[in-house]
Amino acid sequence: MSAWFGLAASPEAFPPAMMAALSLALLAPPLLGVVAMRFPPRHPAPVVAVALPAITLWLLTAVAAHGGHHAPVSLGALDLQLRLDALSALLLLLTQLLMLASAAYAVGHRQAARIPRRAAAWLWPLLGGLTTSLALIWLAADLLTLYAALELMGLCAVAMMLLPGQADALAAGMRYLLFALVGSLAWLLGVALLLGAWGRLDLAGLSATVEPGPVTWIAVALLSAGLLLKAAIFPLHAWLAPVHGSAWPPVSAIHGALVVKASFFILLQLWLLLIPGQVAGAWVLGGLGSAAVLWGGLLAWRARGLKQVVAFSTVGQLGYLLLAFPLLIGTSEAVAALAWQGTWLQLAGHALAKAAMFMAAGNLLLATGHGGLAELAGTSRRLPLALMTFGIAAVTLMGLPPSAGFTAKWLLLQAALLAGQWPWVLVLALGSLLTAAYVFRVFRYTFVEEAPRHDFRQLPVGMDLIALLLALTALGLGLAADWPLAMLRPGGGEP
Amino acid sequence: MSAFVPLVHAGLLVGLALVCLVDRRLARACLAFIGFALMMALAWWHLGAPWLGLAEALFGALFTGLALLHALGTWSREPGPPSHDHFLRRRRQVPIRLLVAVAWAILVAMGVGLLLGTGVVELLAEGRRRPLLPAGLAIMTLGAWAFATHTHLLRRLLAFNLLGSGIFLLLAGLAGARAEVQALILVGLVVAWLGTLLGAVLIRRLHALESRVTLVAEDEPGGGE
Repeated sequence: MSAWFGLAASPEAFPPAMMAALSLALLAPPLLGVVAMRFPPRHPAPVVAVALPAITLWLLTAVAAHGGHHAPVSLGALDLQLRLDALSALLLLLTQLLMLASAAYAVGHRQAARIPRRAAAWLWPLLGGLTTSLALIWLAADLLTLYAALELMGLCAVAMMLLPGQADALAAGMRYLLFALVGSLAWLLGVALLLGAWGRLDLAGLSATVEPGPVTWIAVALLSAGLLLKAAIFPLHAWLAPVHGSAWPPVSAIHGALVVKASFFILLQLWLLLIPGQVAGAWVLGGLGSAAVLWGGLLAWRARGLKQVVAFSTVGQLGYLLLAFPLLIGTSEAVAALAWQGTWLQLAGHALAKAAMFMAAGNLLLATGHGGLAELAGTSRRLPLALMTFGIAAVTLMGLPPSAGFTAKWLLLQAALLAGQWPWVLVLALGSLLTAAYVFRVFRYTFVEEAPRHDFRQLPVGMDLIALLLALTALGLGLAADWPLAMLRPGGGEP
Repeated sequence: MSAFVPLVHAGLLVGLALVCLVDRRLARACLAFIGFALMMALAWWHLGAPWLGLAEALFGALFTGLALLHALGTWSREPGPPSHDHFLRRRRQVPIRLLVAVAWAILVAMGVGLLLGTGVVELLAEGRRRPLLPAGLAIMTLGAWAFATHTHLLRRLLAFNLLGSGIFLLLAGLAGARAEVQALILVGLVVAWLGTLLGAVLIRRLHALESRVTLVAEDEPGGGE
């Protein structure tokens, strides 16, 4: 399984050009963030001009042509490891694109929402720190680097959520902080047990030496508990909706799109590398995922506020990702290959669509001035662009063709049928129905015409366009899925 | 004599941790935490990691201590949160939270016991040779219990810090003072300090805005007076 994550038995140093590009991808965002804190951009153009995705695209083509790299990086007496394969390069590209979109959106949002300059300035270094920590999570190949990156990500995410400064944001942020801190302690305990038992922290080495047994299971259980808490997986999802309810839309977009996914990425990696034979545990996770799909869908259907609908929909959509565990662990090569591609496509499609949805919801909120669903009455005629964006993003979430969500769910469905694991087929179908139910419920409110008030605020058209662009990318990813999926064939690049 | 000193050291650690968690006067609890962190620094020094000891004294005792005292409003002209914790209990969810804390402690004790090839009872007996391991286990359990049952946010921050320190002791007890262990603990120390600082700022702001010191509004009839 370690080849799936681009891990080699004997790591070799990165070629100099690749090392330079990676250092730039890791170091540039916080530096740019500090510069932007001092000189806040007034126009989205300078933000969009940041050329980091071009560098990552070059890395991606290099990896696709010559295969992945797994390299040791020494830091004093410490031996750390990084790896760059097609999967981590694609995730890096996705992260940078979404970060830039969210940063460009934040420029318009600050002006439209009249956020005080001082509070808004702090967003930039935090965005930079978050980008670096996410990049490190995709690249890291040892538990120490992963720990540091996970912590940096958690602290940046909490701090961003607190920026609005109102009492409800602070209370929700405090709860998130306590959960995140305890989650990372559970992670540290798991690492302590693994280090005590096997004496190493590098994933490739652990994957080769770890033997199944009670100590390994307890260690992975602790690691998983910490990650499930951070990923807001059912039943540990209670902190997610209040946090999003009061956060700024660009922050919510990044959080729902990427931050919760990073924990899932690490979780999947740990299970496939450390306990690849633990079928019963994988079914438990699949069961949790199914419960998340259904419960998250129900909560989204019952929610009163627009942002709550989107936040609970994140809980549900994350559940689909957990179906990867029973489909990848203990199944045949063919099933695993299908599930592997479906999972990553679902992750990317949902990330793009959820970011678009949070931005569209933020636009509707700003324009109407209220967060309740009932306040959306009359928006269908007055704010068609924001609603269309919401709808296109919802197409991906519902899994209708030709979106990325459709292709991803199709792949997962095929994998489940091929493996004979019919419960997941049911979950996929019910989840799509529930998604349709809560999306159409939102639209029903927008078509109410006998609304008493019609004072909608004008927003900069750029804010709508960024969200629309992301939603269309999620839709188009379904049509152009062959290109990334070809790179994601197990074995890294070679078909 | 030489076998006696580590036992006293471990006992002091557990005792100070208890003071942190049960003393109703919050300032005294915070001072106890600073003493506890200095004891931790001494423990790292004994284990042959003097630089880690220095980092613990700096981040654990000084910076985290300052953050905790800031949460109490020690240097501020504006009135800070009340100086006493009235141990308001939450009405709901207590059994579930306690269950999670107990399960956590038992799971870890089992893991440590299996790892060392001993049962939990022998583990306590082994405490005579390696007293930091059972001390870490005890401090971690105390921290988990307090984090699960207490409502005062400052107390929960203290509990989180103790939980973390207990885990650091376990980590060092299980894997020795290797470079990786020291790096993990160093990252943990910095994160705990930053988390405590963020939490302290939040406690002050929440108290200033809504004069509350907990997250459960319905359990607070007097508004934290």
